[in-house]
Amino acid sequence: MNALATPIIRSLRQPKGAIAGGWLIGLVLLAVFVPLLSPYAYDVQNLPNAFAPPSGAHWFGTDEFGRDLLTRILYGARTSLSVSAIAIGLSVTVGMCLGAAAGYLGGWFDRIVTSIVDLSWSFPEILVALILVAIIGPGVTGTLVAIGVAYLAQFTRLTRAQIMAIKSETYVEASRSLGASNVFILGRHLIPNALAPVLVSAMLATGDAIILEATLGFFGLGAQPPTPSWGSMMSSGTAQLFKAPWIILFPGLAVAITVIAINLFGDALIKSLDIRSRMRAA
Amino acid sequence: MIGYLIKRLLMLIPVFFAVSIIIFAIIHLIPGDPVDSLLKVGSSPAQRAIIEVRYGLDKPLPVQYAIWLGNLLTGDLGTAIVGRRPVADLVMQALPYSLALGGFALLFSTVVGLVLGVIAALNRDTLIDQIVMGGVLLGSTVPSFWLGLLMILAFAVYFPWFPVSGARGWSSLVLPVLTIGLGGMALVARVTRIEMIDVGRRDFVMLLHAKGLHPMRIALVHVLRHVLIPVVTILALRIGWVLGGAVTVEVVFARPGLGTLLIKALNQHDYPVVQACLLMLAMAVMLGTLLGDILQAAMDPRVRAALA
Amino acid sequence: MTMRFRHAALAATASYFALLGASSAVLAQEAIFVLPLSEVGVPSYDIIRQGNTNLGAYMIYDTMLVQDADQSFHPGLATSWTEAADGMSWTFEIKPGVTFHNGEPLTAAAIVAWLGFFADSDNAFTTQSIAKAEATGEMTVTLTMKNPDPNLLFNLASSTMGVIEPKAYVAMGEDYGVTDAVGTGPFKMESFAIGSETVLVRNDDYTWGSDLADNKGPAKISRITLREIAEDSTAFLELKTGGVDMLMSVPTDFLGELAKEPAISTLTLPGLEVVYMPINVTKAPFDDIKVREAVAFAVNQQEILDAVYGGVGAVANQFLISSLPESQVDPKYLISYDPAKSAALLEEAGWVMGADGVRAKDGAPLTISLWTQSDGSFRRLAEVVQAELKAVGVAAEITTFDSSTIRDQYKTGEQQLAVRSYWWGNADIVDWFFGGDRLGYPNVSMFNDPKAETLRAASMTGSKNSAERIANFKAYHEYVLSQFAFAPIYQPVQNIGYNKERIMMPAVIRAPRITGQTILSMEVIE
Repeated sequence: MNALATPIIRSLRQPKGAIAGGWLIGLVLLAVFVPLLSPYAYDVQNLPNAFAPPSGAHWFGTDEFGRDLLTRILYGARTSLSVSAIAIGLSVTVGMCLGAAAGYLGGWFDRIVTSIVDLSWSFPEILVALILVAIIGPGVTGTLVAIGVAYLAQFTRLTRAQIMAIKSETYVEASRSLGASNVFILGRHLIPNALAPVLVSAMLATGDAIILEATLGFFGLGAQPPTPSWGSMMSSGTAQLFKAPWIILFPGLAVAITVIAINLFGDALIKSLDIRSRMRAA
Repeated sequence: MIGYLIKRLLMLIPVFFAVSIIIFAIIHLIPGDPVDSLLKVGSSPAQRAIIEVRYGLDKPLPVQYAIWLGNLLTGDLGTAIVGRRPVADLVMQALPYSLALGGFALLFSTVVGLVLGVIAALNRDTLIDQIVMGGVLLGSTVPSFWLGLLMILAFAVYFPWFPVSGARGWSSLVLPVLTIGLGGMALVARVTRIEMIDVGRRDFVMLLHAKGLHPMRIALVHVLRHVLIPVVTILALRIGWVLGGAVTVEVVFARPGLGTLLIKALNQHDYPVVQACLLMLAMAVMLGTLLGDILQAAMDPRVRAALA
Repeated sequence: MTMRFRHAALAATASYFALLGASSAVLAQEAIFVLPLSEVGVPSYDIIRQGNTNLGAYMIYDTMLVQDADQSFHPGLATSWTEAADGMSWTFEIKPGVTFHNGEPLTAAAIVAWLGFFADSDNAFTTQSIAKAEATGEMTVTLTMKNPDPNLLFNLASSTMGVIEPKAYVAMGEDYGVTDAVGTGPFKMESFAIGSETVLVRNDDYTWGSDLADNKGPAKISRITLREIAEDSTAFLELKTGGVDMLMSVPTDFLGELAKEPAISTLTLPGLEVVYMPINVTKAPFDDIKVREAVAFAVNQQEILDAVYGGVGAVANQFLISSLPESQVDPKYLISYDPAKSAALLEEAGWVMGADGVRAKDGAPLTISLWTQSDGSFRRLAEVVQAELKAVGVAAEITTFDSSTIRDQYKTGEQQLAVRSYWWGNADIVDWFFGGDRLGYPNVSMFNDPKAETLRAASMTGSKNSAERIANFKAYHEYVLSQFAFAPIYQPVQNIGYNKERIMMPAVIRAPRITGQTILSMEVIE
């Protein structure tokens, strides 16, 4: 527990980390408590009040159905953040298992995993995601799986590199000579030691995933109405670009600020964990 | 070194086959049938069968793959099912647009990114550094379609300096190039800054300082030279990133190119076109990776030693 | 050294970018039009083998007949025509002195050869009632029929039956329509990039404009680029900033904005499109006609017209565009918003309102799927319909698909409700969308009813003349309405936006839509 909490607290003590962390924590809290905070529902249409510009009653204006944009952005944060975080979570879990096994076992298994990873590395994430959504179908599930798979290669590669770097160190050799099993060595020594860089890069990738989710939403493939997500909100805002630019402006700003916050906090974490060189080695 | 090159090039061959199988298999997992797009009011099952035979869609998948691969090796990319003309023509028609967009975007990323990275490194940990790197971060953390739309709103509508969309004349390149280039610029600037600082700490730089050379001269001549290789490497390795960005940006700016061709073909289930586009993109990425690896090998003395 | 080089490179880039700005000026007597969203992505001008056509086909080709705005038929390449009393043969006289773009003369033999290409093509249906076509004089074509076809004239005036030069068509094979296209129309194809643009140049020899054109030719504009822009807002911004001269279809959202532009005029033509909601009659709970009727009456046509389409166009209460005689059904069959009736029907069918505002029956909530396509205003429309259904206690889950994949999805038959539209100016569209042998797509409603099939057969092949055809189709249409296989929503009008400082329109548009005959008389203001 301490191993996880200490670097986070240390990151929050840095000025950039504090601002970034504050934004992220604040956003999550707002997204959780938005039903209590906002007088508006995210899904109730008020057609005569459509396209209202930002005002005292609607801070960010209303969308093409007369729904309060700020309320929808906060509900949208639930979708966008959870889809991105869960997708990356899946990706990290699978990627770590694959990468760890490949790095530790070596041999033919390593060669197969490495070449598959290198292959999928050949394709830009957005293309991988677009094709997967075409196969699975649009919606939250499709987006989630597509993003998860799109980043799989990155985590497999990173974990494998970490394991390769650690596995020949003395304490691992010692453990092996004492007759420890492969599973024990992986679970006790290798994965925990590889964890920090992988988790930090997972955090950074969550930022990219938010952008990817938004891009899939832009192509109309993300969350389906009336569920708001930042991507789908921007997608419908595209048509209103000139008539009501706030519909696309504010969700875009939400994405930009959140991704910047994630990046800054990630940088702060790297600094406080002192793992810059290990991140770059991968 | 030449041995290494040959080895790497030979290694591309199995990778190429694997990629072609994956692309072929994945395309056929997408639900839907390209023939559907061809049928119109009043068409009968017999007409459907005729079309299937014409495009070889009646044969089993492995046979279709073998035929496709065989043609591919002779330079024949097949015929577009919905587009009804040689895929090679469609690709060649789209390619110049994509190359222009990608090429200028890379150029912009490299030049501007290097300049900003050097400025940030020379003013390390000052306000200038913070401002430059903060601005650069902004460029890489916004969805490219959003940035593109805002650019249209700003520089084509409120200040009508550039066209809103299309690919008519050089002026229509500016906004798309900026949209893609800003992301790449951020990457280059970050790498440049870190490498400049890193290289600046090395012994030979200390020696130059001791010799009394002007610090600016050291930074711009001696240090920058060492920084260029990692920058080019990272660009080569991330070429897919530029291509991926181009897909969205081409759609936003209604520009012809491989991206728009791919998205349209994907929507129409025009297998041969999707396959060809993906293969082109994958090959570009593979060559980029190869270039990156070679550069890495060339600059890393340990790798060079191991190869020698 | 390095520094100096970088400076030079930057300076070069800067002056280069400055140069770029100058090259996009549009020359006079040239014009750029933007195709409507529904015509984007047509892969070829081979209008025989290719199903979809766009405005360019109307400019490259002439048709045997042309249709006026009131749907009446007038001479095109055929100067006159006669039908035998029993409807089993037709004779057409061909206009003399017409040449194709490649210099070949238009003759009866050319027409016969061209008609022969339709067999086995995707568009074979247009000529399927013709048993034999022969040249009975140098400029006379006689068609012997398999059965009377009161729709023949409509087909001969439709965009898929633009007359193609037969020798070029055979010689070019698969390349035809892509690298070149040879017709007799007022414009020739110069270049064509699929999904991007078509450049057309004036046919200087053209003198055979139809009766419906003020200017018989050649066209006044020398060069027209047809651009395809998939995004409505981009197209609108291009028109607003002067990047293009005309939008063939302005989304209603932008009409208000365009009205504020002093340089832009909007021309409105009657609509050829109907927006509707198919109801899958085979999927529970819609296998119960009461539930179908209930959702049909829950759709608030007026609210949609006002909120989604800014009051432009008209509500739809039946399946056809209102200019067709077959649309004049008995008023008792018309479907229009009645929430009280809708609620009563749902109660009758056993669906009881729950505390969460969603009805339920035997513990199962009334949750259904609503499909639509992602382009244009469909998504927005679907969201409004979703809210209207919620108002009567029906929870609809929206799924959007790409406009070209959604047809494949319909073929699975898994849809319950969908929001879509069609673009067609003939009653045979009822057959197309409700015919029992086309389940899934185009028969999205999965409607297959023996009585409907009987009425359908009478309409399609059992009508000897057009009065009979109208009566038959009206009966068929009324029966489909009575079964609530769909809910009508909206009838758009065609809104054409153009830069009036650049383009001079003819005073009257004598066609159901803009065609090459209209463009003949358009002028670029210098």
